[in-house]
Amino acid sequence: MMYRVCRLSLAALLLGSGAAYADGSTLTVAYYGGNWGEAFDACVAQPFTEKTGIRVVAEIGNSTTTLAKLQQQSGDAVIDVAYMDGGISELAHEAGVLAPIDLAAIPNAATYLPQAVYKAGDEVFAVSAGYYSLGLIHNTSEVTETPDSWLALWDESYAGAVALPSPSNSSGVPFVLFLARSVLGDTSESLDQTFAKLKELDTGLLFDSSGAASNAFQSSEVIIGAHFNVGAWDLTDGGLPIGFSVPKEGVWATDARMHVVKGTKNPEGAAQYLDMAASPEAAACLAERLYLGPPVTGVTLTPDVERKLPWGEGGSVEKLHLSDWTEVNARRAAIVERWNREIAN
Amino acid sequence: MASARLTLFWLLALPVLVFTGFFLIPLGVVLVSSFTAPEDGLTLAHYARILLDAYHWQVIATTFRIAIFSTLICVALGYPLAWYLVRIVQLRSWRRACVILLVLPLFTSNIVRSFGWMVLLGRSGLVNDALMSLGLIDRPMRFLGTETGILIGMVYILLPFTVLTIGTALARVDRGLEQAARDLGATPARAFWSVTFPLTLHGVMAGAIIVFSMAISAYVTPALLSGGKVTVLAMLAFQQYSTVFDFHYGGALSITLLVLTLALIGLASRMTRGRTPGAGGH
Repeated sequence: MMYRVCRLSLAALLLGSGAAYADGSTLTVAYYGGNWGEAFDACVAQPFTEKTGIRVVAEIGNSTTTLAKLQQQSGDAVIDVAYMDGGISELAHEAGVLAPIDLAAIPNAATYLPQAVYKAGDEVFAVSAGYYSLGLIHNTSEVTETPDSWLALWDESYAGAVALPSPSNSSGVPFVLFLARSVLGDTSESLDQTFAKLKELDTGLLFDSSGAASNAFQSSEVIIGAHFNVGAWDLTDGGLPIGFSVPKEGVWATDARMHVVKGTKNPEGAAQYLDMAASPEAAACLAERLYLGPPVTGVTLTPDVERKLPWGEGGSVEKLHLSDWTEVNARRAAIVERWNREIAN
Repeated sequence: MASARLTLFWLLALPVLVFTGFFLIPLGVVLVSSFTAPEDGLTLAHYARILLDAYHWQVIATTFRIAIFSTLICVALGYPLAWYLVRIVQLRSWRRACVILLVLPLFTSNIVRSFGWMVLLGRSGLVNDALMSLGLIDRPMRFLGTETGILIGMVYILLPFTVLTIGTALARVDRGLEQAARDLGATPARAFWSVTFPLTLHGVMAGAIIVFSMAISAYVTPALLSGGKVTVLAMLAFQQYSTVFDFHYGGALSITLLVLTLALIGLASRMTRGRTPGAGGH
C-alpha cells in the first residue's frame, strides 16, 4: 500500500513538473552564484517576472558547470536560457547544445552594439549580457603614481608583490596571448619571448579565483597586478586604497553571454527574457551593481559608474581587447602545459 | 529465518545501491575516460604522458612530500595533545571544552580556514609581524607560495583527526600495565616506549592514514596557499577538468594519484602489521 502511494505521488510529481515546464509559466535560467547571480536576479529576472508573469527558476553554476549540464540535458532540455562566459560560449556552440537566437523576436535587439551579437555563419548563437575587463590594479598607498603601461609590472620595486591570473582562471590563457600580442609585441607562434619575459617576473600571486586576488590586494600581499574591474572597484568602494587603470596598451576583456538552449520548451519566454536583459534599464542596473559594460546603446549612467566600467573613464568597447576564442581554445592545452612547467614551478 | 534474511537484504540493499550509484559509477567513468581517447579508442597514452615525464614525477614528489610531512607533524603534535587531554586534564568540563575547541574548526569550510591562513601568513600578516617584533627575522618571510605555507595550513586542518584517534586509543590503555612496568624497574620513558606507545600504535596508524589520505588528495588548501606557485597532483587534475576540458588526461592524473596513494598506504600497513599488539584482539 505504502509503496503504491509513493509510486503515485512520484508519478504526480513528475507529471506536475513536466506540466509546469510545458505550459510556459516558468523559465529556467542558468546563471552564476554570488553577487553576479543576485544582480542578474534583481536586474533581469525580477522585472521579467513582473512584466510577463513567468516565474524564473534559477539554476546556479559557473560557465563550465552550465555547459556540462547542457550536454547532459541535450535531448530533453530543462534549462531554457543559459549564461556562459566568452570562450565557454564558443565551446557550447561547437557542442551543439544551443538554439539559434531570432533577433527579430527581440525588439530591444536593435540597440545591441555590433560586437555584442555572436554569429556563426548567419546564425546568432549568443548575445552579450555585459563586458568586464582585467585591468591594471595598484595599491595607491604603495604605488604612488598610476602606472600607464603593463610593463610597470616588471619594475624592480614591486618584486614579489605582483598578481597575475593563473591558467586555472578563465582569464589566464587569453591574458598570456594579450600580453604577447598587445604588450610585448610577440607575434611568434611559439610565444618563447613572452614566456621568457614572464619567467623574469617576480610574482607574489598567480590567482585561480577572483576572490584570491581580492584577498591578496586587500591584505597588501600584492600591490600591483591584473584584476577584474568588478572585483577591483568592490575593494575601492569598500574604502581600500586600490586604483584601477586602463594602461596605454589597453585591457583584455570578455563578457558574460546569454544563450537559448536547443530544445527549450518555452522559446517565447526565452525571447522575452533576452528582450528584458537588452533593455536600457536592465543594462544600467547591471552596470551599477557589477560595473558590467552595457552591450546596448542608450544606457544612461552616473559619472561615477561610468568611470568604473571595464574600459575606464571616457572609454568604449573599442578600447577592449576581446579575444579570438577559437584561437584561445585551440592553444589552451599547450599554453597551460607550458605555464605549469615554466611559471608555476 | 527467511524474513530476517529478507530484512537483512533490504537493509544492505540501500547502502550498496548508494555506494554503487554515487561512488563506484563516477569512479568507473573516470577510470574508463583515463584509458580512452576521442579518436584512438583504448589507449595507454595518457598514462605514458604522465609516467614517462620528469615534470609529472616532480609534481608527484611534491604531493607526497607535503602529505608525508603533514602526517608526521600531525602525529608528532597530536600525540602530546591527546596525552594532555586524556592523562593530564582532570577537570571534566575543561576536557570537554578542549575537545570542542579542537573539533570546532571542522564545522567551517576549508576555503574559509585557508583564506584565514592567507591573511595570517602574508607579508604583513600576524605571523610575520610576530616574528619581526620578536627580532627573529628582519624582513618578512615568504610563506605563501611555498611548501612550508601549504604544510602549515594542512597541519592546522588535519591535526584534530590524529588527536581524536590517538586520544581514543590512549584512553583504552590499561594503566595497570604501565604500573607493572614501573614496578619491575622500568624508567617512565622505557615504560612509555615499551608498553604505552605500542598499545596506542593502532590509533596512531588510524590517524596517520586518515591524515595522509586527506592530505594527498587535498585541493582547496594547496590551491589557495600555493598562490599558484607550487603544484600538487590534485591541482593538475582539477585544471584539466575545469579549464582545459581534457577529461582523459585529467582522469589519468586522478587514477595515478589514487593508485600511488593506495600503494603507499598498503606498504605502510604491511610494515606496521604485527608490530601492533592486540590489533587482532581488540
